Amino acid sequence: MRGASKTLSTMAGAFALSLSFIASAQADGKLQEVLSRGRLIVGTGSTNPPWGFQDKSGKLAGFDIDLARIIAKGLFNDPSKVEFVTQSSDARIPNITTGQVDMTCQAMTVTAPRAQQVAFTVPYYREGVGLLLKKGGKYADYAALKAAGSAVTVSVLQNVYAEEMVHQALPDAKVDQFDNVGLMYQALNSGRSDAAATDASSLRWFMKQNPDKYADAGYGWNPQNYSCAVKQGDADWLRFVDTAIEQALTGVDFGDYGTAYETWFGVTPPAPAIGFPR
Amino acid sequence: MDEFLTEAWDARDVIVGGLLQTLSISALSILLGTALGTAVGVGLVYGGLPLRLVARAYADVMRGTPVLVLVLAAFYMPSVLGLHLQPFSAGVLALTLFCGAHIGEIVRGALQAIPRGQSEAAKAVGLTFYGVLLHVLLPQALRSLLPPWINTCVEMVKASTLLSVIGVGELLLRTQEIIGRNFLTLQFYLLAGAVYLVVNFAIERAGKALERRVAFR
Repeated sequence: MRGASKTLSTMAGAFALSLSFIASAQADGKLQEVLSRGRLIVGTGSTNPPWGFQDKSGKLAGFDIDLARIIAKGLFNDPSKVEFVTQSSDARIPNITTGQVDMTCQAMTVTAPRAQQVAFTVPYYREGVGLLLKKGGKYADYAALKAAGSAVTVSVLQNVYAEEMVHQALPDAKVDQFDNVGLMYQALNSGRSDAAATDASSLRWFMKQNPDKYADAGYGWNPQNYSCAVKQGDADWLRFVDTAIEQALTGVDFGDYGTAYETWFGVTPPAPAIGFPR
Repeated sequence: MDEFLTEAWDARDVIVGGLLQTLSISALSILLGTALGTAVGVGLVYGGLPLRLVARAYADVMRGTPVLVLVLAAFYMPSVLGLHLQPFSAGVLALTLFCGAHIGEIVRGALQAIPRGQSEAAKAVGLTFYGVLLHVLLPQALRSLLPPWINTCVEMVKASTLLSVIGVGELLLRTQEIIGRNFLTLQFYLLAGAVYLVVNFAIERAGKALERRVAFR
C-alpha cells in the first residue's frame, strides 16, 4: 500500500514536471508571443512633440512612433502592425513591469536607477540642451552669447535645476523661467530674452516648424541617452529589439531611421561608415 | 486670438472625438453604477447580516478611496493576475465601482426616509417583498434620490477626466495633446473647461425637468 502511494506520488511529480515542460515550451518568451499575436504593443506618449504626439489630423506621430514602426517592420515585414498604448511619462515603468505593453519607446532617458527596474535597449538618440536664437538677432552664436556675459537673458522652462543648467553653458547669463513652452518661446520672440534654452530635439522641431525664423546657437550640453525599454528577464526579446534598433542606426534599416530623423529634426544623421562597423 | 481660432477649427474633430469618449464613459459608468448602486442600497437596508456587511465594506472602501487610486488600481491590478483590461474598460470599471458605492448610499438614505407604515400597509394587502420594493418603496424613494443622483452624474463626468492618466483619449487628454502640439495652454484648457460646463449644465437642467415630472402633484 505504502509502495503504491509512493509510486503514485512519483507519477504525479513526473506528470507535474512534464506539464511544466509543456507550459514552458508553449510560453517561450515575448518574441513568440508577439509574433503569434500578429501585432506589437508599444507604450508611448501623445503630448510630447516631436517624440509622440497627435498631429493635426488626430493621428499619433513622432520619432518614437516611427521607431516603433521600424521594429514592427522587423517583426512582421509590415510597419503598420503596431498597437500604441498612450501613457503619461509616469506610466512608462509600471506599464512595462505589469506587462501592459511589449515595450515602451517614449523619450525615456537611460539612468542606472531605472535600469534596475526595466531593461533598456541600445540608445537611439542622444538628447541634450541647446540654445535657440532669433535669426538675424543681436547674438549670432554661442560664442557671442558667452562673450556678452551678464548682458544675456535666457528663457527656460521652469524646473528646479533650470538656473544651474543654463549656468553650465553661460555662467553669467540672467535666467528667466517660464511655466510653459509657449511662453518661453514668446519671450524670445518679443525680445524679453536673447535665447531660449530647451531640449535639442524640441529646438530642432521648432526650427523645422518655423523655417528661416530661428537659429541654433550651435552648442549642446547636458547629454542624456534615449532608449526603448522592455521587461527584465527575457534576454531573447531584448536581444531582438536591440538588433532591430542597432540595424536602424547602422545597418540595413538606416534608410528608415534617416528618413524619420530628417522628418522630426530637420537634419540628416551622419551615414554609417562602410567598412569597420563602428 | 486668430491663431487660437484656427487651431481650434483644425482640432475640431479631435475635440468632438474626445467629447464623445467622455460622454460614453460617463453614460456607461452612470448606467452600470446606478444598477449596482440600487442593488447595494437595497442590500444595505433589507439584506441579511452577511449581505449587509459585504455591501457596507464595499461602499466604505470605494467611498474612502480617491478615484484616481481606483482608476490606477483597475488598470494595473488585473494585469498582475494575467487579465489585460483595455484602458477604456479599466476606466469604466473603476468609475462604475465608485459610482455604485455613492448611489448605494443615496438609495439607502432614500429608502430609510420612507415612513415604516408604507411597507407595513403594502405587506398587509398581500404584496411580496419584491412587490413592495418595486411598486411601493422604490417609486417613493425616486423623489428624494433624484437630486443627489443628478449630482453624482455631474461628479462622474468630472471624474472621467482622471482616465486621461491611463491613456484613455477623453476630452482632457485630447486637449493636452492639442496643447502639446501648439502650446496654446490657457486657451485650450479654457475651451475644455467650457465644454465640461455645458455638459454638466445640460445634465443639471435635464435633472430639474425630471424632478418636476416625478414630483407630488
